Amino acid sequence: MKKIYNTYILLVSIVLLVSTTANAQISKVEIRATGLTCSMCSNAINKQFKKLAEVDSVATDLNTNTFVVYLKKDNKLSPNVFKESVEKAGFFVGSFEVTMPLEQLKSNSNYILIEANEAKSNNDVVVRIFDKGYVTEKEYKKLLKSYSKTATYALNNEADYHIKIIN
Amino acid sequence: MRKVVIIAFIILSQNSKAQELFVVTEPASNVPAGSLNVRLGQLLFKEKFEEGYNYHFMPELTWGMNKNLMLRATAFVSNRNTQLVIEGGSFYTKYRFFSTDDLNSHFRLAAFGRYSFNNADIHQETIEIMGHNTGFETGIVATKLIKKVAVSSSVSFEKALDNKPNYTFPSTQGNNATNYTLSIGKLMYPKKYTNYKQTNINLMVEFLGQTINENGKSYLDVIPAVQFIINSQSRIDFAYRQELYSSMLRSAPNGFYLNFEYTFFNVSK
Repeated sequence: MKKIYNTYILLVSIVLLVSTTANAQISKVEIRATGLTCSMCSNAINKQFKKLAEVDSVATDLNTNTFVVYLKKDNKLSPNVFKESVEKAGFFVGSFEVTMPLEQLKSNSNYILIEANEAKSNNDVVVRIFDKGYVTEKEYKKLLKSYSKTATYALNNEADYHIKIIN
Repeated sequence: MRKVVIIAFIILSQNSKAQELFVVTEPASNVPAGSLNVRLGQLLFKEKFEEGYNYHFMPELTWGMNKNLMLRATAFVSNRNTQLVIEGGSFYTKYRFFSTDDLNSHFRLAAFGRYSFNNADIHQETIEIMGHNTGFETGIVATKLIKKVAVSSSVSFEKALDNKPNYTFPSTQGNNATNYTLSIGKLMYPKKYTNYKQTNINLMVEFLGQTINENGKSYLDVIPAVQFIINSQSRIDFAYRQELYSSMLRSAPNGFYLNFEYTFFNVSK
């Protein structure tokens, strides 16, 4: 545990050192929405995504309420835009995955690696966001304890995303 | 009637996907922010003390102001007095103040208020500000979704005022009441979703009760309903309202509902 923590400190330091204000260009987000079972409710979320000019297409699995949102090139959307879209439709986010180039991820200080793990690919990586509002309420309560050593986690700073690389 | 209620309960309590877009009551959830919902509500109720039916037409506009606040305006058109005339209107608002969601469940609480005006004659003890009385209603509603079964319940206070300009509220009747509702809904079709074009069929049962606070006179109604959701954007509701119990004067307690509804998404920001 201590080793991981040290690695984390090291990573944060590196990230802070190379900190730039560049927007991470997201190519795809995969969101599982919570609190709904009807297709009309799902469609409300679908329509919220589709009204965004930067969105290219949306694929939905109505049985799991999972939305895969493909974005146009050179967009500057950040994850909170999609979270707000789901909430505007009247629902919440249960899980949130972002696909972006590894280079972009490394150069953006807003993405904070909550556990030190390595990307398998040098091109696009998939990361999952673990902040409040990006996981279920139950999961967040557990995570608050697990990540109590990560000072920024409990702050709920809207611009910061605490992530794990999952692919 | 009791059998129907029991059967409805058995069907609805089976573990499947649930719905909360109820026909007569409102769930604690709101319409999506920025959407505009148009409802053409129709009621055909059988007159108890005279021949025939009375017809009410209630066109309604609902706007999701933001994710927590919803506003609604309704007009009341009726032929109770021989020809179709506009008798009044209503403004309604609902604020969702608590929400806790999980993958297969949610619990929500909302507060609501309604003000209605109506110029029709006052002809029954029942206080009904949807198309009959001038007055207001305020209350709270709780909606719970557990393992894909949705249950919604509300309690409200309703007060009738004079139906201006011609009809004062009879001083011999209690002018305020407590209302309580219980609604349960279930998705029957499809068993598995494939796309937004699929027609959804929902079965619901709702219980509506009222007690006049001053004298304790009460009624309890049951409303079984079937609902079709078409193209994930429009709705057709068909329901029948049946009085189970009543100790108050009601001129037309039993009848049919037929609603058409269409949602325009993203009308405002």
